[in-house]
Amino acid sequence: MLRRLVLVLLAAVLSACGRSEPDDGMIHIRYLASPDVGGFSKVIIERFERAHPGLKVDMIEGPAAGDARENMYSTAFMGEEDSYDLAYVDVAWVPKFAAQGWLLPLDALMPAAELDNFLPGDVTGSRYQGKLYRVPIQSDGGMLYYRKDLLAEKNIPVPRTWEELVSAAKKTRTSSIAGFVFQGKQYEGLVCGFLELVWGFGGDLLDSSGNVRIEEPPAVAALSALVDAIHVDGIVPQSVLTYQEEETRNVFQEGRAVFMRNWPYAWNLMQQEGSPVRGKIGIVPMVAGPGGKPAATLGGWGFAVSAYSRHPQEAYAVAEFFASAESQKLAFFKGGILPSRRALYSDPDVLKAAPHMKDLGRVLAYARPRPTHPRWPRMSDALQMHVSAALSRQEEPAEALRAAAVEIRAAARR
Amino acid sequence: MRDHSRAGAVNWLYAAPAMLFMGVVSLLPIGYTFGLAGEYHRLAVDTRFWPVMRTTLSLTAVTVALELALGLAVALVLWSPFPGRGLARAAVLIPWALPTAVMAMAWRWIFNADSGVMGDLLFRLGLVASPQVPWLADATSAFWAIVLADVWKTTPFMAVLLMSGLAAIPDELYEAAAIDGAGPVRRFFVVTLPLLKSTIVVAVIFRAIQTFGLFDLVFVLTGGGPGGRTQTIAVYAYDVVFRYQELAYGCALVVAMALCLVLMTGVMLGAARGGKAR
Repeated sequence: MLRRLVLVLLAAVLSACGRSEPDDGMIHIRYLASPDVGGFSKVIIERFERAHPGLKVDMIEGPAAGDARENMYSTAFMGEEDSYDLAYVDVAWVPKFAAQGWLLPLDALMPAAELDNFLPGDVTGSRYQGKLYRVPIQSDGGMLYYRKDLLAEKNIPVPRTWEELVSAAKKTRTSSIAGFVFQGKQYEGLVCGFLELVWGFGGDLLDSSGNVRIEEPPAVAALSALVDAIHVDGIVPQSVLTYQEEETRNVFQEGRAVFMRNWPYAWNLMQQEGSPVRGKIGIVPMVAGPGGKPAATLGGWGFAVSAYSRHPQEAYAVAEFFASAESQKLAFFKGGILPSRRALYSDPDVLKAAPHMKDLGRVLAYARPRPTHPRWPRMSDALQMHVSAALSRQEEPAEALRAAAVEIRAAARR
Repeated sequence: MRDHSRAGAVNWLYAAPAMLFMGVVSLLPIGYTFGLAGEYHRLAVDTRFWPVMRTTLSLTAVTVALELALGLAVALVLWSPFPGRGLARAAVLIPWALPTAVMAMAWRWIFNADSGVMGDLLFRLGLVASPQVPWLADATSAFWAIVLADVWKTTPFMAVLLMSGLAAIPDELYEAAAIDGAGPVRRFFVVTLPLLKSTIVVAVIFRAIQTFGLFDLVFVLTGGGPGGRTQTIAVYAYDVVFRYQELAYGCALVVAMALCLVLMTGVMLGAARGGKAR
């Protein structure tokens, strides 16, 4: 008994030091993901293992917080360890991971024709310096939620431009219902929402030839519009400066806002039984400014193959299986995961269960990834800080974006 | 002679585990940090360094000053005997015993813009026009929110340290001063304060070092916002190392931080000694 205990402890210590393969003659493909809500990943893995005898997929359900998992992946890769064969990566991690040489280019494995079946934003976000590093699995993008009932009451059409949004919000808000809420806290989400407006106003942050354009008039106009919405028009409560996604959703779901900028995840939660706004909400792409086109900031996840994996071919097979239309449909029905394949947004089964997927498909068609630069975190922080300073009126919009541009250029040069 | 040297060897043997432990968990990482640090020239051109330094220093000065005043008051009250003193002493320690991150989450709810207790309380007292006050949306009020949360948490620590100083003051001195006709206020200034000085210096240095490296409270409560106005040097160093993956410069920041602390401690000790010479 005691000897057995010692052996078990010894094994535990050893396995903590490095990766030890279970001695079952199978090839194990390991990856880290968020908790498997709905259990769909397990079903997909079972199906994969049945179709591929000799292969086993070990999914490690890690923390729900994305940056915690990003740190876990980074630590393993920094040590050049083969702890993970696959990495389930956010679109924002692709450039950073790829630039460090942690990921395997997949161009030779994935036929170019196959890529056309995915949403264009998800494919762009999977590339770094022209090479493909990720198989897109889950799509995500920012959008405008609105209260159908409140707009209908006043006979107001759904806004398409910023001007229409401001006027609709002014007409529908009351002392207890805010016009528009968004994620205004100083963090990554602020940049996502702000970029949607910058693109919508016809501006850009980093153009395709690498020029920083964030201090140009369209971006300044977008920031001024947001600042005015809080401090001049009064359609946005000042408390948005402390809001992340969940705070915004709570306000909107409790019926205390007419418009909200958020991600698709909020839809299912707000349509649940018992939700005060159930059946009263709609979604459209984020409004555009004068002369611009609506845009959405791309989120989304996909599988990348680790450069340190001893079984890259097998790992890719797992990624390919998860990306199949059948697996994506299962993930959508069991876990509400938005597919990265465009055909599924007009799939009859999907539309029958969720008619709003048609609108979502339209929103995601506008989705654009954030700049793919390995030093994006520093650039994003500079932008967050100055946008936040402008929203809290510590800096003028033009001055804030000029300062942000200087810092972003410095980060790009380093 | 031989016995003596053997005793010495045995003593070293006894000390070895502790020394090994210190070496592995303390000296080795410190040495590593110095080894990894580089790109010091960037400290001069980094546009974030000085604003972050200014925030950290003002936070340290304000917080430690408030804690000293409050901690001294609490220590004096808890030192004089009254019924239920043991219970009061234990109760005062509760904030200090809480993990900072947990406490910071609670403060985030207290300062919540829509349903926070703080706004509601002040509204009921008639001090603000609406119970919905976005405390953390404004640079100044966010700074004071951090000060309040930190003072609340660490005043007990200050009080406990000062109480140990009070315990070391002999009662005879108070009696002699009383016989000489000194009232309670005068006794505080001629007996308590001068004899407490060395304890105060130690307590202030302790707290200044801790506040200068403040990370968890800021990280959870404001994330450094709005507009980066509440970002401390520790939060910035974390970003540089873990998020920007600029290890060399991040370690340089930590070395700069350590130098600041050495300088700060030196100035405080010097001031205390200078006062003694007079």
